[in-house]
This record gives sequence, C-alpha cells and structure tokens, in this order.
Amino acid sequence: MPIETKFTGTDTYVASDDLMAAVEVAMELQKPLLIKGEPGTGKTMLAEAVAKSLNKELLIWNIKSTTKAQDGLYIYDTIQRLYDSQFGEKGVDDIAHYIKLGKLGEAFKKEEQVILLIDEIDKADLEFPNDLLWELDKMEFYINETKETVKAKIRPIVIITSNAEKELPDAFLRRCIFHYITFPGKDLMRQIVNAHFENLQEHLLEQAIKTFYWIRDIRDIRKKPSTSELIDWLRALMIGGIEPDTIQKKLPYLGVLVKKDEDLEIVKQMNV
Amino acid sequence: MFTSFFYTLKSSGLNISATEWLTLMEALDKGLAHSSFTDFYYLCRTVLVKNEGEYDKLDAAFLEYFKNIKEEKLDMEQIDKWLHNDAKSGKLTNPELYKDTRTKREAVEVHRMFRERLNEQNSEHNGGNYWIGTGGGSEFGKNGRVAGGIQLGNEAGMKTAFAVMGERRYKDFRRDTKLSMRQFQVAFRELRQYSRKLDLPKTELDIDGTIDSTCNQGGYLKLEFEQPRKNTVKLMLLFDSGGSMYPYSELCNQLFQAVNKANHFKDVKTFYFHNCIYAKLYKTPECLSGDWIDTQWAFRNYDKEYKVIIIGDAGMAPEEFLDKNGNYSGPNNGLSGHEWMQLFRSKYPHSIWLNPSYHGDLTKLYWMESERLIKEIVDMYPLTVDGLKRGIKKLMSNQQRS
Repeated sequence: MPIETKFTGTDTYVASDDLMAAVEVAMELQKPLLIKGEPGTGKTMLAEAVAKSLNKELLIWNIKSTTKAQDGLYIYDTIQRLYDSQFGEKGVDDIAHYIKLGKLGEAFKKEEQVILLIDEIDKADLEFPNDLLWELDKMEFYINETKETVKAKIRPIVIITSNAEKELPDAFLRRCIFHYITFPGKDLMRQIVNAHFENLQEHLLEQAIKTFYWIRDIRDIRKKPSTSELIDWLRALMIGGIEPDTIQKKLPYLGVLVKKDEDLEIVKQMNV
Repeated sequence: MFTSFFYTLKSSGLNISATEWLTLMEALDKGLAHSSFTDFYYLCRTVLVKNEGEYDKLDAAFLEYFKNIKEEKLDMEQIDKWLHNDAKSGKLTNPELYKDTRTKREAVEVHRMFRERLNEQNSEHNGGNYWIGTGGGSEFGKNGRVAGGIQLGNEAGMKTAFAVMGERRYKDFRRDTKLSMRQFQVAFRELRQYSRKLDLPKTELDIDGTIDSTCNQGGYLKLEFEQPRKNTVKLMLLFDSGGSMYPYSELCNQLFQAVNKANHFKDVKTFYFHNCIYAKLYKTPECLSGDWIDTQWAFRNYDKEYKVIIIGDAGMAPEEFLDKNGNYSGPNNGLSGHEWMQLFRSKYPHSIWLNPSYHGDLTKLYWMESERLIKEIVDMYPLTVDGLKRGIKKLMSNQQRS
C-alpha cells in the first residue's frame, strides 16, 4: 500500500468533502483539529481512520471528569519512590526514574510523526483546555523535577473531540481548526453502511435506512439513534434473517436502535 | 484584498480575532483553497468559525459578500434578515396576542399568498399583522402566532405554523446570545461546599495520617489514604414558565444548560411554575395540569439543605398574588401566592430569586407591586452573569435573612 500524504478516508471510514478539507487544513497549518458532532457520527473513529490512511501510529488520551492537564504531560510517582526508599531499591536517587510521561509527553518523544487523539475534552474540568494552551502551541513542556524540557521532535497531528457538554474557552478555540460533523444524509449513510458490510442486501438496507430516518424524524424522541446504532441494528437484522418488507411494520430488535423507555413507547405509538 | 471581507464577516456578528484571520491568510498562502470556491468556503469555515451555532452567520456573510456569483430563485438571505431582528424586538407583553383568532386557511392558498407577499415586500417588518417578519400576527414569518401560516426559520416554541421553509442547513444551531453560557458555568463553579463525609473509596494520600502511622511504627513507612473531598451542594431550580417569560426563554435556557452541564453538584432538581409558586410544582415547562407534584410533597422530600434558585419575572397582578383564589392555572389550596412564598422561604432558607426584568428600586408602581412584595420575602437579583454571581454569594453565605 502506498503511503498517503493526504487524508481521503479509508475502506471503512467514509469522510465527507468538508471533513477531508478540514483535516488537510489542520495538517498543513499544524494546528489541532477540534471535532464536534452528535454522538455516533464517528468523531473518535476519524482519528483512527486518519492514522490508518497516513500509516502513522495513533496515541489516544481519553479524558475523564477527573483528568488534569498535568496527567497528559508527566506524573512524578512520589509514593512509589517513598516506598522504594524504605527498601533501598536501586535507582531511588534518580528522580527521572519516577517520572512517567503522559500521552502528550509520549507523543512528543516519538521519533516519527504520530496522531494524538485527545478524546472527549469536554469531560474534564472547565479550565482544562486553557491549561494545555502553551503545550499545544509550542509542543513542549518543562519537567520541574529533572529540569528537563520535553520538546516534540516532529509535531504530532492533534485531533480533539468534544461532545459539547461544556463550552470551551475562546483562547483555546482560537488556536484550533474546527469542524462540526453533521449527521449524514441518506446517500452518505448508504456509503457508510456499505463500508461496514460486505454483502448487504440492497433491499434490506433500503428498508432499514427508511425506518431509521423515520425514527430520527419523530419530533418527541429524546435520544435519536446514531450511525453506530444503525450498524448494530443491521447486523441484528441480518443475523435474525428478518424479511426486509416487514421491518417498517414490525420494527424488530427495536431496542438496539432506541435505548430509552419513553422513546420506545413513542415509536410504538407512532407506528400504530 | 480580503480586508473588506473580514469586515463583512465581523459585521455579521462573527467574533473573529486577528490570530484567526492571519491563520486564514497563511492557509491561502499555502494554497489550501485550491483555487476553488467550495474549498475556500470550507477553509474559511474551518479556520474562522469555532461553533456550529455560528455556521449560519458565515453562510449569510458569504451570500452577502459573494452574492453576485450566486444564483437564487427565492431570496432566503433577504427574508432571513427580516426575521433576524426578533432578539431585539424584546417583550411580547400581552398574552391575548398569542391566542389563535383565525380559522385555518387552505395550504395552497397560504402558499400563494406567501409568494405574492414576498413580491410586494422590500423591507424588514417585525410585529405587524401583514408583512413577513417576526413576532407578529401575520401568516408569514418567525415565531408567529397564526395557525396554518408559513413559518420561516423556525426556532422554537410557538408551533402555530404548519410549514418551515428555509434552506440553510445550520439554521437550527443558530443562537444570538448576549451572554455566553460559559460565563454562567464559571459563576456556578462558586456554588461548592466540600465535604469528606460521603461514601466514597479512599483514594487520596492522607499526609498527616501517613506521618502519624509511620511514626507509630518507628519509622517504618505506612501509607494512609482518605476519601476525596466532594461537592455537597444540592440545587433546586424553579423556572417561571408563564407567557410573560417568553421573551426570556433563550436566557433561561442558557442558565438551565449551564446547570445541566455543570457536573459538580450532588443533586439537581428542576421544576416549573406559572407566575408564582402555589400548591403544585410542574415537572415540565408546558405546565400541564396533572403533570405536577405537590409543593408540600417537595417540602417533605427535599430537605432544607437544598439551595433554591427561582427564575421568574415576578410580573403578576397583585390580586393574583394576594388573593386566596388568585391562581388561575391551578389550585391554591387555601393559601395565597404571598403565603405560599413565605412558606417556601421558611422551608428553604437558602433561596434566591433571579429576575430577567428586574426593576430594582423602581417597584413602587402599581403593576410592580408583586415584584416588591416578593423581594421582601426572597432576595432578588437580575438574571445576568453579575446578578447570578451575587446571588450565589448570597446562597453560599450562611447568614440568614432576618
């Protein structure tokens, strides 16, 4: 496989034109790419696809509500050192021994360019993105304990995803390239689904997609089914050997598509 | 050469900084627009706009600036401008106006009229009954109140028009906001009270405990852990969902979102009421009869540690507030609104009232009497970032009001 320099999607990831343009701009300008979109539109998968198509290593930093910016740079494991000092372990006198690099530090240290995915940045504290401004701008940080500066040899391609749980600070946004993944229309959806299945019956797909968008368009639905749920549902329909023409009427395996009790009720009522 | 484009974007309300503009120039230098108009559009969008809510503004500015190269049958851009002003038009004070006074027209007929009206109209109209515009009683326009008309650029709520026409894909995301939600979120961060008295695993190193234990063991290291400190603040939000609150729905929505997205509260309860708190608290903003809980039930089940934020305009007639049968949309249960408020306040000592149409000391006028009376019971602050900050300070201070 020839090594690509431009991202054009992969066998299993169908990217829209504007998304590909955004990835290219971010790479050329060496700025972080911030991806937002409805859950299930493939935000996290984008990084995997970019890594695969460019044949680069992917590092994933999963953000949780307790994650601090420091965790991504390095952690000084004081407790381990304290323990070791009790027993006079080898290397206790060397602080560097107890400095553990975080994902950002790891990405900086690599000899080759890597893709760094900072997943669900909005899960963390409100100030979290601000604490990373310098590090993402300059691609370097300073380790106090060892007086060492870690600087990226080759700037990693940074992809950041957000579910918009929290508003991100302006200063952070100004430094990013932004892209919002809209929910795919029927045509793009057909391509996406086909990328996941090898021998999908045309008729089954047609009926399933019709029903899927019908459910999404019901106004009162609280949690709309997403692409990944459609794919799971199709898989269930295939395994169950469901007759395509009965899908709209019987709504088999509806629980795969619709997860909330009240939504299930609404869909069933609408279908009567 | 593009500087005038920069100002077109600026004047369309996009907040673009010099940094972002220079980034765009750099990208153009690198040839990332590929001499294609579509790629140029994507490039601008991805570099200059950082919120999907603002995509629509960019679209509008693009149409405005490059209009000569766009061919269009129906001038959605122009219509959108006419509709744009609803945020400024402000209060809709008379609830009578919301009532549907006309019979439904035939769909075909309405469409025909829309076309005709579009041809006649050449300027912006808001609040009238004939032209295409916002807030009025014409069959055409945004947030209108005539059943069976054509609704343009639908944003929320009124549900009176049967069709939504509009081409811009990102219209739904648009929000013209005076205050950023982030400011509200930052303010809510102040609402914290830390405690270790919670049932959590011990994950934090207890330095003092470790030193004690290590000394007790004659210098042999023994690590002690303790529970992390957690926020114990419980919050109850009460929204006035009456007709006069309609102009502030966006503001209330932001406040609601800010609370929802703050994940540091121990518990958040949200209820709705109509003008004043009476015997029932509604579970949904629609305030439907029956979809409620007894206010007394809330008193029994939610303890006095709950910090209460009431959001309302306190804009009701004094008789509605003071009469024992003053509640026209639900039961009074023998108490006037005034008495209910006093009862509520005595149950929840940590309460504040946020008022989007706060009049301060100007409440001596007759129709503001209710606001004055409520202010005597609960501390009232304007619904602004600053008001919220002061209110939260009040909630966190333990001093009781005499």
